Amino acid sequence: MTRKRPVAALLFFILPFGLLFAAFYLAPIGYAIKQSLYTVERTGTFGPAREVFGGLVQYQRVFADGPFWESIGRVLLFGVVQVPVMLGLALLLALLLDSGLVKGRRFFRLAFFVPYAVPGVVAAIMWGFLYSPNLSPFTTLTSKWDLLSADLVLWAMANVVTWVFVGYNMLIIYSSLLAIPQEVYEAARLDGAGAIRTAWSIKIPLVMPAIVLTTVFSIIGTLQLLAEPQVFRTFSSAVTSTYTPNLTVYSTSSIPNFNLAAAFSVVLALATCLLSFAFLKVTQRGGDK
Amino acid sequence: MKLNRIAPMVIMGACTLYFLVPIWWLLVAASKSRSEFSSTDPLWFADFALMDNLRELFAYRDGVFLRWLGNSIVYTGGAALLGTVLAAMCGYALAKYRFPGREAIFNVVLSGVLVPATALALPLFLIFSQFNATNTFWSVFLPSLVNPFGVYLARIYASASVPDELLEAARLDGSGEVRTFFTVSSRLMFPALVTIFLFHFVAVWNNFLLPLIMLGNERLFPVTLGLYTWNTQVNQYPEVRMLVLTGALVSIVPLVIAFLLLQRFWRNGLGSGAIK
Amino acid sequence: MRFPMRSLGIVLTSALALTACSNGGGDDDAASTAGAASCAPSSGPVTLNYTTWIPGIEKVVKVWNDANPNIQVKVQTGPNGNGGTYQNFFNQLKAGNAPDLGHIEYDALPSFRVQDGLENLAGCSEVTAAKDQFVDWTWGQVTFGEENSVYGVPQDAGPMALFYRKDLFEKNNIPVPTTWDEYAAAAEKVKSAGGYITNFSQSDINQFAGLSWQAGGRWFANDGAKWTVNFADENTTKVANYWQGLIDKKLVSAVPPWTTEWDNAYNTSKAWTWVSAVWGANSIMSGAPDTSGKWAVAPMPQWTAGGTVAGNWGGSATAVFKGSKHPYEAAKFALWLNTSEEALTMLNSEAQLYPATKAGASLPALKQGVEFYGGQPIYDVFAQASTQVAADFVWGPTMTSTYATASDGFKGAVSGSTTLPDALKKAQDATIQNLKSQSIPVAE
Repeated sequence: MTRKRPVAALLFFILPFGLLFAAFYLAPIGYAIKQSLYTVERTGTFGPAREVFGGLVQYQRVFADGPFWESIGRVLLFGVVQVPVMLGLALLLALLLDSGLVKGRRFFRLAFFVPYAVPGVVAAIMWGFLYSPNLSPFTTLTSKWDLLSADLVLWAMANVVTWVFVGYNMLIIYSSLLAIPQEVYEAARLDGAGAIRTAWSIKIPLVMPAIVLTTVFSIIGTLQLLAEPQVFRTFSSAVTSTYTPNLTVYSTSSIPNFNLAAAFSVVLALATCLLSFAFLKVTQRGGDK
Repeated sequence: MKLNRIAPMVIMGACTLYFLVPIWWLLVAASKSRSEFSSTDPLWFADFALMDNLRELFAYRDGVFLRWLGNSIVYTGGAALLGTVLAAMCGYALAKYRFPGREAIFNVVLSGVLVPATALALPLFLIFSQFNATNTFWSVFLPSLVNPFGVYLARIYASASVPDELLEAARLDGSGEVRTFFTVSSRLMFPALVTIFLFHFVAVWNNFLLPLIMLGNERLFPVTLGLYTWNTQVNQYPEVRMLVLTGALVSIVPLVIAFLLLQRFWRNGLGSGAIK
Repeated sequence: MRFPMRSLGIVLTSALALTACSNGGGDDDAASTAGAASCAPSSGPVTLNYTTWIPGIEKVVKVWNDANPNIQVKVQTGPNGNGGTYQNFFNQLKAGNAPDLGHIEYDALPSFRVQDGLENLAGCSEVTAAKDQFVDWTWGQVTFGEENSVYGVPQDAGPMALFYRKDLFEKNNIPVPTTWDEYAAAAEKVKSAGGYITNFSQSDINQFAGLSWQAGGRWFANDGAKWTVNFADENTTKVANYWQGLIDKKLVSAVPPWTTEWDNAYNTSKAWTWVSAVWGANSIMSGAPDTSGKWAVAPMPQWTAGGTVAGNWGGSATAVFKGSKHPYEAAKFALWLNTSEEALTMLNSEAQLYPATKAGASLPALKQGVEFYGGQPIYDVFAQASTQVAADFVWGPTMTSTYATASDGFKGAVSGSTTLPDALKKAQDATIQNLKSQSIPVAE
């Protein structure tokens, strides 16, 4: 393939997206980084603020901020439990849909995907009612366990996230199951392998990339939890203004302390990258072919 | 053998309940008058006041809710459609052409997925302010066009579903690269495009932080922001609560319809992609 | 499959390069002119932008626009202040494109002043001349008690009183409490009758602020050189200990406020009283429709028998933002909006705003008996209360974060992990920390 590179076509393909990406992703990130390096100075109680270069002052504040790191610990705990449960369920449902053992696949696929159509804010408001000790349809359950108490509210939110996202993850896994060529199964069928064996030893390894992908996205989503805790703050006394890292960013910027908020979000973005990267490293070493 | 079939159906049934009961609850709740909402069985209808609630919803403040629905459809439909095309072109180029910096571009785009939305929204506002462009349709629409995840998906699908030989053949036929993309490759990628479109659509539909920060003019709001606005007023004006519930129900409907309509493409597309 | 992530460095460097050319936010200086704006009329027709979250405001503005073709007001509505509109104001001020006029609650005014976001209207003679029309303490809220400074026109007020279930109190032979001691005694009786005297507002700190205001607590002071933060003065501590006592004895419920759950507690007669502001009348009416006709309003319980002191909860001002090209016209509109009988009547009927003017208390709508409250002319009680609110209560410049930390602590107190006085101490420390991180001078 030693033809000339079609430069014009390449530019045509890449530039439109590239420019928008630079303007609406890279530029704001750069702006946030820059902001995080500044601090304000003022004189007198109502003196106007001057923004001056502060180096890493804001980052010192971030690292000294106990509640922020507690909140990172909290979402990590959340992720360690919620992500496997959600993806396990998504995988199971995708495999069942693909197995030919169930009738009405179209219906199920849609039914499972519908919650994804519910905007996060609306989903949280809805489940807030469903958890409420007096108004819930499941009062036998909610009067026994207070799902909005400090011990359980994290898992109550985990359920909301699971409810919204199982269908989405199932669909990603399912479509990669559908992309497996039929020939692959022939050998297994000849071997007389049952549905479970086939699923375990053929399908799951083949859809591993999709599972890794959904895991990475779930990790990112977990670290960026915002809508659910924000809505739950109105239902539950256990959800504080710094319950998740993103909530901390939001409350800091509404003080308004733009510079500190920018530093928080830079640290958060770095932590997210680090974690996703670590996860990929681990899976790639484990599953090397 | 029988157990083999019963167990899966039981699992599917249980999950269906889990996924659909909350929606059912919303439907029932939206059909009640305010006093019945807290006093009757939450999972069954009392007097059916859905029509009254809807009428009130659509009449409230000169029908602003309808306007929000319309806005949402334009923001999301437009951004998802155009965004899908842009992402597909970029992903396709990254998959099918070798050029210096290819991996670098791909990696940068992918890292974009990791940036928290809260980190982007505020700087975006300040940048738009410098062009005096906040509180406009474009301030929400343009940033919504960018979908790094779509580029990623498009690249994966393009590598898998567009054979190099086919492109060579098209070149020998004298077809230009751009024309080949729109006439041949995009067809092969169609199922992927539908998927990208769907995910993009939902992402924009759900996004409320960006409009919250960008928009001041109520007439430009998308429906999520509108509902959120009402929800913040519930403590001073509790009568708004039923509007929020009814509005929530109505806001889900367009998406469900979109899914239903797209499902046909989707199934055909995915199916043909599977047989290959 | 590979999902590479190693190029963060590239992202960062290219991002930095991209913004190197964009400027660093427009708040460099210039705007730092202290003192009052000149307030000269503009020549020719003027269009003003006004942002608020008052429902039905469009109708009020239309009346103005029809009568003033040369000063047209364009109104925009959004979520309530802390729900996002304040954040938008801050962003817009930073970007230099704030509207001319904005709706700001009293407790948020200092935050905006600290950000140098408010036009001082003391140069507008019409504004200073209107001083006597307003209830004293509301004027104190917009002037911060300083000479030659007016940072907004008072709009509405939230004088507090005691809403109580007249029927239940009579049925159980409980006298209506006039002091806080009697209130605590009543709480015991209510408890034995199977109810709660009230619901303690664990997450809306404003109610507690109103209670402290009444008791003489002063949370912030400002001598021009430094802020003083004191959430643990004698009077505030008295209030905190009082409510902690009720919580410990389980005499109050602690449902999160403003939820359906909370409405439900009132609707099903589980909660019997509410010490709340005038706008609370509407909250009960729409939250507890089944209890219509059974409520009544009495003055707030007092710390000393025979006292006549009330607290305030809520209320807001119409402020002119720094950078407005037409402060004179903006002030003129704000005055009309908040003093003319026509506008006040509409604001009251559309949004239940309770006027901040002295004359406003005698609007016809505020003189009538209210059916929900058994026909009692309840607004007379609030009109009385409004004159009994102390004028020297000052809010701090970072109230959103103060509320957030205080409410985090209050939630802990309700669940038993801390106490109200401790929560206040913690909120004080956090507030001081917060002021420092914004380099606002504060006394330790």
